[in-house]
Amino acid sequence: MRKKTIIQFLLRLAAFCLLLVLSDRLLGFVFSKLYFSQEVGQFHQTTYAVDSARQDILIFGSSRAVRHYDTDSIATATGMSTYNAGRDGQMIPYAAAVEEIALKRNRPKLVILDINAWELADNPSKYEKLTILLPYYDKHPELKTYLSEISPFETYKLYSKVYPFNSSIFILASNALFPASAKKDANGYLPLDAVMTPAFLKEYKGNMEVRYQKIKNKEEKPDQKAIGYYKKFLDATAAAHVPTLVVISPTVIKDPFILDNQEKEKQLVKDIATAYPQVTFLDYSADPRFYDHPEKFSDAFHLNRQGASEFSADLARYLASHFRAIH
Amino acid sequence: MLFNSIEFVIFYILVTALYFALPHAFRWILLLAASCYFYMAFVPIYILILGFTIVIDYFAGIYIEKARDKRKRKWLLSASLVANIGILAVFKYYNFINLNIDLLFQQFNYKNPIPYLSILLPIGLSFHTFQAMSYTIEVYRGNQKAEKHFGIYSLYVMFYPQLVAGPIERPQNILHQMHTHHKFDYNLMVSGLKMMLWGFFKKLVIADRLSIYVNSVFNNPEFHNGTTVVIASLFFAVQIYCDFSGYTDIAIGAARSMGFDLMKNFNRPYFATNIQDFWRRWHISLSTWFRDYLYIPLGGSKTASVARRYMNVFIIFLVSGIWHGANYTYIIWGALHGLYSVVYIIIKPYLRKTPEKRWSAALMRTGNMAITIALVTFAWIFFRANSVGDAFTLIGHFKTFGEMPFLGDGISNFAHSILAVVILFTVEYKMEFLPDKYNWFYSPNIVVRWGSMAFTVLLLLLLGVFNGGQFIYFQF
Repeated sequence: MRKKTIIQFLLRLAAFCLLLVLSDRLLGFVFSKLYFSQEVGQFHQTTYAVDSARQDILIFGSSRAVRHYDTDSIATATGMSTYNAGRDGQMIPYAAAVEEIALKRNRPKLVILDINAWELADNPSKYEKLTILLPYYDKHPELKTYLSEISPFETYKLYSKVYPFNSSIFILASNALFPASAKKDANGYLPLDAVMTPAFLKEYKGNMEVRYQKIKNKEEKPDQKAIGYYKKFLDATAAAHVPTLVVISPTVIKDPFILDNQEKEKQLVKDIATAYPQVTFLDYSADPRFYDHPEKFSDAFHLNRQGASEFSADLARYLASHFRAIH
Repeated sequence: MLFNSIEFVIFYILVTALYFALPHAFRWILLLAASCYFYMAFVPIYILILGFTIVIDYFAGIYIEKARDKRKRKWLLSASLVANIGILAVFKYYNFINLNIDLLFQQFNYKNPIPYLSILLPIGLSFHTFQAMSYTIEVYRGNQKAEKHFGIYSLYVMFYPQLVAGPIERPQNILHQMHTHHKFDYNLMVSGLKMMLWGFFKKLVIADRLSIYVNSVFNNPEFHNGTTVVIASLFFAVQIYCDFSGYTDIAIGAARSMGFDLMKNFNRPYFATNIQDFWRRWHISLSTWFRDYLYIPLGGSKTASVARRYMNVFIIFLVSGIWHGANYTYIIWGALHGLYSVVYIIIKPYLRKTPEKRWSAALMRTGNMAITIALVTFAWIFFRANSVGDAFTLIGHFKTFGEMPFLGDGISNFAHSILAVVILFTVEYKMEFLPDKYNWFYSPNIVVRWGSMAFTVLLLLLLGVFNGGQFIYFQF
């Protein structure tokens, strides 16, 4: 009798699991279609960066890359096609992953990496956020190394066809239902239009000072894995003989890494970059044309359209004078 | 080992399958070995602490039962309690007490000669210590026979589903179950699995989702306005509930699937209409522990003086705060709840009775629920803040309530958080007010039953946060 009940349970469990697998496959198919048919928004940008970008200049980085580098301005000044493959909320492991795939497809003439000290600081979220690469694993198995950073079981979770679209339901629905409401990017560049007020900057500086008093005695421990990815990124451009520009783009406070207790990380960004012969390092974090100019910033971390335009024009001039030869 | 890990899923399947495959005589060995493995997955060496209390309490129980002399029984109980509380004091409170001595000495320019201990807090220490103490107390009171089987007694303290975060069981409820031969029961197995599914949903879809917003606000208190602080505090109220009750559901479900019946720990606390009601619904195993072993021995509500009664109530909550952790944030949290409870007892006779009209009664109940949630949420600010200073910084920002809130790392996460809260309150509203309707998990129609479960699993995959976030209550 007991044996019969156990067999009955196991059979029903197996039937339920089958139902689950079928529903997962069906829903996963629907989500995949929806995801890869996006024509606007950050999913579309990531798909383009991962699968298609073949421009002469490729820009990598976080939201600061997306919001700071006006691709039209750079393309006009240099005469080279430009794509901004930065992504909101992502850091150096994401840049290394997308770069690895992009370099396999095509050899750009110049690579720009926007980076800052925060990316080398200890913060596990930079790996958790790599989940946005999950939809691309089937097509790009080389992403396995990166996805394993999320958890050692991550690639096993991909037996589920729904899981790659985890946490993307609202963006997918919004872009599919209201495509007009999503901002269209200009070759990956998405400027911000808000303007920071002087009062906000004053308050922000005050808050940073208060916070600094709390964290100043904490021992800085740079994230060795992130340093590894930074080096991997630069190793890849060195192997492909692609000139590379590592940039710390403008910040609203002069050298904010001091108040973030991340001077060690800032120094590492510079030291590692300058150790590579193909790399040029540019630091705008103490540039008086930008810091203490709230009118050029949208928030504490990002330039607004005006600031991005000025920064990009300046960078474009630099590129035109130093990199035109490679065109 | 965390419940929300792949390792646990494998562990659970193996242990449950082996449990039913083995003859009854060997099952306790399996469960004890599995519980040791489960605990040692955190910090292996701390199993020795558990071993120490198990040996002390096992013999204390036997000798208390044997002793005829009341004084000897009392002495044996005291020895057992001192051993348990001593372990708590050393591992949980020693450095905190020493820090306070340090601060006091600094006022008089003395150097504190007592060294600090470089130790990690053993996982779930307060839970298994309290469960062990309830055993010796109940044996002393004559409500429970001393357990002669050392292995079964060890399992009572170490039973893996409730080892690190409760429910804090009473020996009368669980100990006899350790001896019972549990046959495979289809209904219990299925009901246990369903409970685990809902527990995982609460943890992964709701608690861990909300934690993203909550952490970004509470870890950077200087940078957020009043609106953001209010939203983050409300989110934390839901987060901690789903984190803890999610754990409890998984624990109860895992135990139930093997035939064990653990006590209920939560009963939709945010539907409470006053602070007393809240404590009848929140962490029931701890509040009843304090009621049975501290409040009543102190005199409870039957004291001669009213002031003493208020003091007893206040003490219980203060101790409850200290139980949670060696930090002033928890002490203030406990004191606030003590204050709320005393004030409620004082004003209770003057409160309006529930009106007879249905809509007026519903309105009054909603208002009372909102007030209770507001009070509880305010106290949670202290519970969650990294320091008392941070808590006051956050509260100081209330003056900017009404400004545009921080939406976190993109609107998507915020929208997921709102959706999670809506799902929780919809489900709990149904459970509270419509308990006999829409029970899709238990529908006689297989399409509805299986469909709703498959839908829940798919939602878990679509909306869950799978970063292996630790359960908040493990640290206690």
